[in-house]
Amino acid sequence: MTYHRPHTLQELQHMLSEYGNNMHLLAGGTDLLVEARRSYFVAKGHIVDIFRLSELKTLSEDADKLVLGAGLTHDDIAHHPLIQKFASLLSAACSQIGSQQIRNRGTIGGNLCNASPCADTVPPLMALDAELELLSATGSRLVPVRQFFEKPYRPRLAENEVIMALHFKKLSAQQKSAFYKLGRRNAAAISRIDMAVVLKTNAQKRIEEVRIAPGSVFPVWQRVAQAEEYLLGKEANQAHFKKAGEIVARRMIEISGRRWSTPYKEPVVAALTKRTLMMALTQKKSSDT
Amino acid sequence: MMEITLNINEREYTVQIIETETLLDVLREKLGLTGTKRGCEVGECGACTVIMDGKAVNSCLILAAQAAGSRIRTVEGMTRNGQLHPLQLSFLKHDAVHCGFCTPGMLMSAESLLEHNPHPNAEEIKTALAGNLCRCTGYKQIIEAVEDAVKK
Repeated sequence: MTYHRPHTLQELQHMLSEYGNNMHLLAGGTDLLVEARRSYFVAKGHIVDIFRLSELKTLSEDADKLVLGAGLTHDDIAHHPLIQKFASLLSAACSQIGSQQIRNRGTIGGNLCNASPCADTVPPLMALDAELELLSATGSRLVPVRQFFEKPYRPRLAENEVIMALHFKKLSAQQKSAFYKLGRRNAAAISRIDMAVVLKTNAQKRIEEVRIAPGSVFPVWQRVAQAEEYLLGKEANQAHFKKAGEIVARRMIEISGRRWSTPYKEPVVAALTKRTLMMALTQKKSSDT
Repeated sequence: MMEITLNINEREYTVQIIETETLLDVLREKLGLTGTKRGCEVGECGACTVIMDGKAVNSCLILAAQAAGSRIRTVEGMTRNGQLHPLQLSFLKHDAVHCGFCTPGMLMSAESLLEHNPHPNAEEIKTALAGNLCRCTGYKQIIEAVEDAVKK
């Protein structure tokens, strides 16, 4: 096995074309090095280490958009003032991933590529309607995050492609957001269920816009259009949020089927939907609820 | 095999490594820096925590090759002129060391926290140490030891 560390995007593109079908892309390593110890792991000929590639660590903004380099770590994102201001649900999610040691190494691009159904960055990115910029040897293309996943652990990424950046619109001051993570314990937990929401109400408290993106609920991430449509135009209150939660739970059973965990998950998904919508409405953090 | 130079505790080490070896492997097996412990090897227990470029990381999840060019600190680098670091003294004073296996990792996480946040509250200390498991103390003494070190 040969170790490579590209210093520019151009060098990376060259390596993608040279080794694309025989390489491991390595960023933070918090998933890959765990996988590499499993008996079924098939080692390839090259390791391309992109962790230090400065062109993947940039963050830029224009009047209405943020562009995040895919090499930013969870810790970078959790603490970045622009993300806290314009996409607070994403910084909230990143601040709760793994442990401090994992957040210091794990990258947002890596979290997407690993495509675990419990990846904590995906529900916020779904709620933000993010687009991913994929780089290959020949150029780059934009793909909506909602189309990026084929199935669990299987991103729609060619062998010679890498996620270069994430693009999304800034949330306005009227678009409130919230993220809730439910794990088996508080510290360093794998998510059982995630919930990410964006909510905009008018002066009469009527819901003008709502986006509901759960994690670990569907085999492939999706927003819950039925619950969103139900809420549009209604008053933002507990009763309506409760009903929306029931719709999310019903959709989970329709899509994922009845599983061993359903008696637990059905009421919990409904309650978390309501709770996360209330968090967005009142702008309280999960630790206050 | 490849040759790399690692900067550990402000000293340079040039070593021959296998590309798939982790920083933890090289610290313990090639450089004899066995203060850093091998625990779960999947990034759950924090026993292998070291400070790399100012941040606490699991050395079991970093290839040694990736660490070339970084400044690495291990528990061996905490003492100054034969004197224990204030955190180490505080751990001793508060009985925060029982079997001692988690201690180097705890010290590294605590040291990294204090560098970024010199006056953390109890919640912030707990969050910073959440990636370090201890099966002896019940954590209370460890958190108290860090709180006490903060006051000094």
